[in-house]
Order: sequence, then structure tokens, then C-alpha cells
Amino acid sequence: MREDTPSLFPNSGRASSGTAFTLPQSEDGGAARLVTIFGSLDPHGARRVRYVFDAGKPAYSEIVLPAEGPLRSIAREVPAAAWHERELHDQYGIEIVGHPDLRPLVFHDNWPDGVYPMVDRVDDVPWSKRDYRFLQVQGEGIAEVAVGPVHAGIIEPGHFRFSVVGDTILHLELRHFYTHKGTEKLFEGKSAGDGAMLAESVSGDNCFAHAVCYSQAVEDACGIKVPPRALALRLIGLELERLVCHISDIGGLCTDVGFSVAAAYATRIKESLLQASVQCCGTRYWRGVAVPGGLRFDFDSARVAELAQAVARAFRDFSKIARLSLETPSIQNRFEAAGVLSREAARDLAVVGPVARASGIDLDVRRDHPYGRYSEHPIEVPVTHYGDVMARARIRISEAAVSARLIQEAAKSLPDGGVFTPIASQGDVQGFSAVESPRGELCYWVEARGGRVTRCHIKSPSFQNWPAMPLAVAGNIIADFPLINKSFNLSYSGCDR
Amino acid sequence: MIGDVIERSLRQRSPVIPVEALVGNCDGSRMPEIVADRLTEEVARKLVEVCPTSALGMYELEDRRCLRLSYGHCIGCGKCADAGQGAVVVARNFTRCGVAKEQTVRLWDIDGRAEMTPLAPSPEEARGQIHSLLQRALNVRQLDAGSCNGCEAEITALTNPYYDLERFGIHFVASPKHADMLLVTGPVTRNMAEAVKATYEAVPAPKLVVAVGACGCSGGIFAGSHAIVGAVDAVIPVDAYIPGCPPTPAMLITGILEVLRRRIAK
Repeated sequence: MREDTPSLFPNSGRASSGTAFTLPQSEDGGAARLVTIFGSLDPHGARRVRYVFDAGKPAYSEIVLPAEGPLRSIAREVPAAAWHERELHDQYGIEIVGHPDLRPLVFHDNWPDGVYPMVDRVDDVPWSKRDYRFLQVQGEGIAEVAVGPVHAGIIEPGHFRFSVVGDTILHLELRHFYTHKGTEKLFEGKSAGDGAMLAESVSGDNCFAHAVCYSQAVEDACGIKVPPRALALRLIGLELERLVCHISDIGGLCTDVGFSVAAAYATRIKESLLQASVQCCGTRYWRGVAVPGGLRFDFDSARVAELAQAVARAFRDFSKIARLSLETPSIQNRFEAAGVLSREAARDLAVVGPVARASGIDLDVRRDHPYGRYSEHPIEVPVTHYGDVMARARIRISEAAVSARLIQEAAKSLPDGGVFTPIASQGDVQGFSAVESPRGELCYWVEARGGRVTRCHIKSPSFQNWPAMPLAVAGNIIADFPLINKSFNLSYSGCDR
Repeated sequence: MIGDVIERSLRQRSPVIPVEALVGNCDGSRMPEIVADRLTEEVARKLVEVCPTSALGMYELEDRRCLRLSYGHCIGCGKCADAGQGAVVVARNFTRCGVAKEQTVRLWDIDGRAEMTPLAPSPEEARGQIHSLLQRALNVRQLDAGSCNGCEAEITALTNPYYDLERFGIHFVASPKHADMLLVTGPVTRNMAEAVKATYEAVPAPKLVVAVGACGCSGGIFAGSHAIVGAVDAVIPVDAYIPGCPPTPAMLITGILEVLRRRIAK
């Protein structure tokens, strides 16, 4: 965005004051990718803000600024920062100077002005009535279509405001955070172990990635070495979750174009894997399995081998169905050239995961910042540059193959030994962790004191990717919106937290 | 190509699970079951201490010390089974789905080592009346009031070929105006409270409302957050509760059929 762009919203203006810093560069001389921005309080209760960047391998870099005074917005140079800065403003009351759009993001019309949950007491917040202005597209023949928060189907809630000309979408504005549950605040005071259960409920279909990522952050903070057997089982769980998620997504895409035979197959294959999980660890989604220090219980190696066989069968069936689907002309007709997200837009918004890789951005935490046992398993990262629904479908199918292979490898070479290292209660500690969840880079930052969590920040891939979806939708017809939305497969709860 | 797919599907054996095998089944949910004769005060205290959602509590009732287990609060984490020295096991079947709130709570006399609340129907009893329920139709509208999407994943699974909810005449509909039953998941967030009320109002009477999952039943792990209003019944009237975090598809079917049974028995 150019600096002389006229401002749309009253809070904006040119950045001339406020604490600022030099944006870090990546290895190739371009701007480093923004990972997340979040606030915390120092031991005296003063606000500070952390900016995390990915400037290349292997480590993430961090910039910490005091934030009792105003901060200069970086959203004009780094559009990916826009939502993060709005969230800081909502949660911490930090003044952000020069932001192009500081409307409330997390809290809706019912929330009173001037109440900031991460710094204020929020025992009994009064109900209020604020005004929220949607961006209005004006001109002859332009109509507005409001959809949600309650949608027609078994879907999470969120609001979409389309400005259309006939069938064609000119602009889509998102209004989310209907499922905001104050999760980061709820972590405060929990024991390091119990935090894992809350992490599992951030985004239910990716619960294992959240539990592992949270656990890794605590382990990083406390300097704990997790036993190899636990790491190998975690890898199996993470890849199984990715496989299930991608199979489900391909089925969902088939549903959205009315190709119900393949859709039914996909749900059947997915269910077979969930049932195999029950046989292996007593839970369908691996809830209550990962915990800081390792795993809550050991797995029977024979059961793990059975799970690997179920995965092999499921993947064999899935690859046939996926191939047949993508070779079907009516599918090609709907998937190709629909919902194109350009590489430039994906880079500006620091998009992650399969959506980024479908738009030509070569990024995968497992390869770039290996964690757990991933350094022992070489990972091929599929990347394509088309950026359309078809590209996102193909990336997921290729990734499912990698996941199926990793599960076989890990199950064959499962180490012996224990699965848990106890955590000693420690003084003030901080830890950071990143995991490639099925939707992309997921990060947790945990601060703990004496074994209790004092601050937990969650950067979910959905929070990062949602702002890119409207860009992919513009210019398409409104009837293709559900398909394009499904091809992004973003979690509302993961975004809203 | 499509011909190949269809031919393949015709040749495959149907994976559909008979309804008798679903009702009362709770595999994968890790709902706890108390082994009364292993209860001691010390164990009970330990159980209450480890429970992350206050599903377990200790009370004095008429001079007797009681252990209370509220399934509506339980997230099936299994910590009580780990800490219970044999006094807690993972339930092998579970029929407290689609029941009134008081039936989701059980009480044990710790010193007498006996349960004080009435027993739930056995799976055999619950299965007995099913076939008379399956001649009808029911339109269900799912409403997410702020869930983590775990419950949505399991409700969606009801339509897969294993559970095939449509065989029972039960359909998911797109509009609350077409619905007989609202399946409400999640703690009701502040930001969803208005939409939840509006959706409830849009369902024509007579209507059935079922709170689904630990969050829907009690607020679950999110209870006490500044950003939620509370359980579903803090915002709209609720007829029945289906515990679990998330409830498995079998528990959801058990619950929906139980709601129908109770409605018809009225």
C-alpha cells in the first residue's frame, strides 16, 4: 500500500510518531516474513510487544519493544501485520500510530470501549452497543450481500459481507471472532500440564498439533529433553492429523461441486482412520495424549503397527479417489482458475501452509525449522504457482502422500524406552515453538513462573490466512465462494481463539 | 471416470454400523466410570484435585460425604482414571446422552461406597425401544455457538457411510425455519449470544434444543472466560444434554434417539 493512500477510517494517518524499529531482512535481501506479533506484561505490569520474524534458516528472530507509549504501525510496509496490530489494540489498549484500519477486530458491538482484557480486570464486563462500519463499495448496480454469522450447514460461525455486481464479487469483507473465547487469557494460572488440554480446544480438528506445539513451547522454556519414543509417536500423530485433514478437505471440495460419490468415499476413508486411532490410543482425535514432557501414556507397539497398516489402506483408497476426481472434467471445470491467490498477495499477507505452497511460496516448518524427529526424516515440500482451487487440492493430495510415508517410516523405526520426562517447577521461563499443522505454521509462546503459565500466545495459521481469502474471492462469482472458502480450509475457532 | 467410481462403490461392502451397536457405545470418548467399592475419601480428594473442569466435586449431604460426577462438565481427559488407584475406569458404555440435566450428574456416598443416584438405562434397555422410533422423520439444524469445531467434526461424521444418520429419517437442514431440533455446540460466546437467540426464535414451535459437548452442557474448559456468556442453557431453554469432548458419533446418535424417545413418551 502506498503511503499517500487516502485513509478510509478515522484512526488512520501517516505514521510520524511512536516507537519504531528497522524491519529485519531475509537471507536473499528481501523483507523477512512476519510470523506473529503479540503483547505481554513485564514483571512490573508494563506492556511490551514482541515481533517474531522468519529471516531464513534455522532460527526465528524476535524484536521486543516497550509498549507503554504509542507504537508505530508496520502494517503499511508489512500488510500481514494489520490484524496482529488490531488485536494488540483490542487486547492491550496499545496505541498504534499510522495503522490504516484500527476498527475493533476481536470484540464486537457488545464490548465497551476502553476495556482491555489482557491488562484490565474483566470479571463483569458490562454489555454495550458500539457502531461498526463495514467498508462500503459504491457505484451503479452494486449490491451488498450479508452472510452469517450462522451459515447453512454444519460450519463454524463468521460473517461475510460481499459487494457484488450481478454474480461477480467486487469485494469481500470478513467479520470474524464470533467464536472468540478469551483462550489466551484462560491459560493464565493453569499448571503447565493442564495447559495442553486448553490448547487442544483451540481448534478441535487440529487438536494434536496444538497440544504438541504448546508442549514444545513449555519444553523449550524448561529445557526438557523429550524421550525419542514420545517424539516418534508425536510425529505419527501429527502426520495422521494432516492426512485426516487433507482427506476431509478433498471430500469437502467434492461436496461443494456436487461430486458426492467421491465425497462419500472421502468421509468413509477419514472415518476408518479415526476408528483406527481409537484402537491405537483410545481417542479419535488423539486428545489427551500429548503433554509437556512427552506423552500421557505409552502406546502398544503392535497397535501402532496396526495403525500404520490402516493408514496404508486408507491412503491407497484415497489416492485412487483423488486421482479419479481430478481427472473428472466437471471437477476440472470448477477447480481450475477459481479463487486465484497471487504469489505477491500471499507474500504480502505472510500466508502459510498448503495455501502458501499452492501460490508459489516454498515454506514448511518441518523442513525449515525441524522439531521433534523431523530432522531424521527428509521431507519433500510440494509447491506450485497456480494459486487456484485446483492447486490447493493438488498440494493437499501430494502432502497426504508424504504424511502416509512418514507414518510408515516412524512406525517401523519406533524407538524403545519411556515416553515422559517430568517437568521440574522453575522460576521465570519463556519458550517458543512452531509446528507445521495441517493448515500451516502454528506457533506458541509460553511464559511460566513456578510451573504456572503466566502468558500464552497462539499464532494460528488460520489467523494469518483469513485476510488472504477475500483477495482470492474477488472477481469470482458468488456461487464459487463456498468452494474457494473450502479450498482455504480455515478454522474459525483457531483464528478467533 | 465417474462410471469407474460408481462401479467401485457398488462392489464394496457397506460399512454401515447397525443401530444396536451404536446405542450406548462410547468408545473413544473416555467418559469416566466410578468403581464404588474402591472409593475412599483420600482417593476422592485426589480425583477432585486433578479434574481440570470441576466435573468431580466433594459435598456434604445429610452428614454424608459425597463424590459428585457431572458428565456435562467432563472433557474425558482421563486424568481421574490415572490418579484414581482403580476407583475410576474408562466407561465401556454410556447411555446418559440426550437426557435431562439432572441425569448427567451422579453422586456416590464415599463412606458407604455406593451410588446414591438412580442408574441409567442399560444399553439393552436403551436399544429395546429404538425400532419404534425409526419410522418417523426429524429435521435437525446444527448451531455453533462458539465451539472449537471438535463437535462439528463429529456431527459431520454422522452423515458418513458408517453412521448414515439419514437411514433413521433424520436430516440436517440448512435453515432453522425448517428444523424440529437445534443441536447447539460450544460455550455461547459474547459475540454469538445474539445470533443464538435469533436462531432459536427462528425455529418453529414445537422445538427441541439439545446442548452438545462439554462446552454446550457446562461451558467445559472455557467456563469462567470473560469472552463467553456460559453454557447453552444460559441463553436459550435446553431440553436435553449430550456430554463428551467431543461426543462420539455413537453418543450423538444415542442422544438424538433418546430425545425422540422421551418426546414420544410424553
